[in-house]
Amino acid sequence: MSDVGIKVEGLTKIFGSGDTEVRILEDASLEVKKGEFAALVAPSGAGKTTLLMMLGCVERPTGGKIWLGDELVWDENRWSIPDTRRIRREKLGFIFQAHYLIPFLNIIENVKLIPLTNGWSEKRAEKKAMELLEYFDIGDKREAMPRQLSGGQNQRAAIARALSNEPQIILADEPTAALDMTRAVNVVKMLRKIVEEQNVAIIMVTHDERLLPYCDKILAIENRKVVTKTQVPKGFV
Amino acid sequence: MINLAYKDIKYSLLKFIVTAMGVGMLFGIVLIMIGVYRGMVTDAQVMLDDIGADLWIVQEDTLGPFAESSRIHEDLKNTLKAQSAIDKTAAMAFLNLQVETPGGVMKRVYSVGYDPHGEICAINPKRLVEGRVLQKSHYEMVTSYKLGFKPGDKIRMGRNVYTVVGVTKGAVSSGGDPVIYVSLKDAQELQFLYSNARIRNDRARGLNVQADNHLVNAVVATLKPGYDVNKAADSIRRWKHLGVFTGEEQRELLTKNVIETASKQIGMFTVILIAVAIIIVALIIYTMTLEKMKEISIMKLVGLPNGAILKMIVQETMVMGILAFIFGNLFAHAIWDKFPKRVVLLTSDAWGLFGVVVAASVLSSLFAVYKAIKADPRSAIG
Repeated sequence: MSDVGIKVEGLTKIFGSGDTEVRILEDASLEVKKGEFAALVAPSGAGKTTLLMMLGCVERPTGGKIWLGDELVWDENRWSIPDTRRIRREKLGFIFQAHYLIPFLNIIENVKLIPLTNGWSEKRAEKKAMELLEYFDIGDKREAMPRQLSGGQNQRAAIARALSNEPQIILADEPTAALDMTRAVNVVKMLRKIVEEQNVAIIMVTHDERLLPYCDKILAIENRKVVTKTQVPKGFV
Repeated sequence: MINLAYKDIKYSLLKFIVTAMGVGMLFGIVLIMIGVYRGMVTDAQVMLDDIGADLWIVQEDTLGPFAESSRIHEDLKNTLKAQSAIDKTAAMAFLNLQVETPGGVMKRVYSVGYDPHGEICAINPKRLVEGRVLQKSHYEMVTSYKLGFKPGDKIRMGRNVYTVVGVTKGAVSSGGDPVIYVSLKDAQELQFLYSNARIRNDRARGLNVQADNHLVNAVVATLKPGYDVNKAADSIRRWKHLGVFTGEEQRELLTKNVIETASKQIGMFTVILIAVAIIIVALIIYTMTLEKMKEISIMKLVGLPNGAILKMIVQETMVMGILAFIFGNLFAHAIWDKFPKRVVLLTSDAWGLFGVVVAASVLSSLFAVYKAIKADPRSAIG
């Protein structure tokens, strides 16, 4: 078992063709190890979310290779695994700017859904979900519907959902954008704690410079490539 | 595993039930339309079953007395007795009339004239709900409960006033009109007796049409046990120069010739209604799925397999179909007796429609399933 969390080599993404061709990434490479918390910064429209979607096996790259853990999932021009959704529900946890909870399921059902789909027993999924909800201090809201909770509570429930399948990798797309500073810092502290406790690899897209000290490394998209920075370039956040 | 269909239905229960009720009413109307068709076929046979004749003897080269006009002599009922196969005979007259109901409304009725002292009674005693059958040769009448008369009521028809002596329920003509029963003599007068002025006019022309009004529309007969109905019919055709139909032939004439066009019309309308219902169900299911596209995209994004999403859509569709079927049946059974003509709701038709509903629901869900499969998980965060 290697310590690779996410590894990308020569990743290229081109939208359109001819006159309408837009090159988002070109021969980009990056690596985030297990137990590493990386921030991804870039100006709007630079391709942060597209990169995250490619890492999440949602968007097809144009070229290059992607490894999630030890598994090669994209090999130049094709998915090397038959079921990309299996990778998402077994290895990945997604956190978005909005919570995107399923409105007709209550909070605990939202959290249990993926573990149950992965074949966990009801008892194990329930125990894990309750642990996470308690951890995020919304255990008493387990039966509530998403519409009955505040934005912050829903976001914490969404993070609990992302962690419910014990993922090796968490992809977070501006998870704190809808929160005030105190809550944003709390969420990032939680992610930091998860990295340390569960040895997961996290890539978090953010525009908030104040959250960067909690990350192990800063990745930036420059000239269609991913570069590692010690400092955030001006205008990137 | 969480049942997503159950959770989604529970989440928007009222909307789901109201939609199912709406679709159910549509299916209810389909059931009623099928019932109207069945009612027409049933109505067409009521009189044949009530009279219970083995043979219908009518004017030669006609399809009388229901499909075509027929006139034969009343005394043929006696002549026919010479045939060894014939057991009982009765002369009968049939005609359409308009009767003013107690409410003052003119209603179309079908009059059956038979001899109250004859061998075959046209009234099925099981249908008699009040009073008695005819016992006198003149001025008595048995009516239908649909007309609103009661025993003892007086009704003017033609030149005479008739007294209601009995009321039947369920006796109708092939066209669904309520049947009234009068004596054969009264029926002959109603059908063949002209006004005095017309009689005088005819006499001046050298005509004496009123000399013989002992005409009837048909003579019915039953056979003695052991005789073959077709052979008896052939014998009468050959030797008496009359038109003869067996009970089954008359039934076929009524159901195929007399009500064929009307039943085809209803049948066609029913088919169109079923097609419209299927399209509406398909659109509702499709719209229901479109409303959930965001949730479906989220499910796909977090890794839920297609199977779980499709199961949700198909289960919801089936529940919608079953609920609509139940509401449709309740609706049809709540209103069927409000229709002026007979509506026959058969369990077999309801199950047949259930099959159509299930097939339509599954078919409808295919569009929704296709849409769900094509849903882009990226659109969840777009």
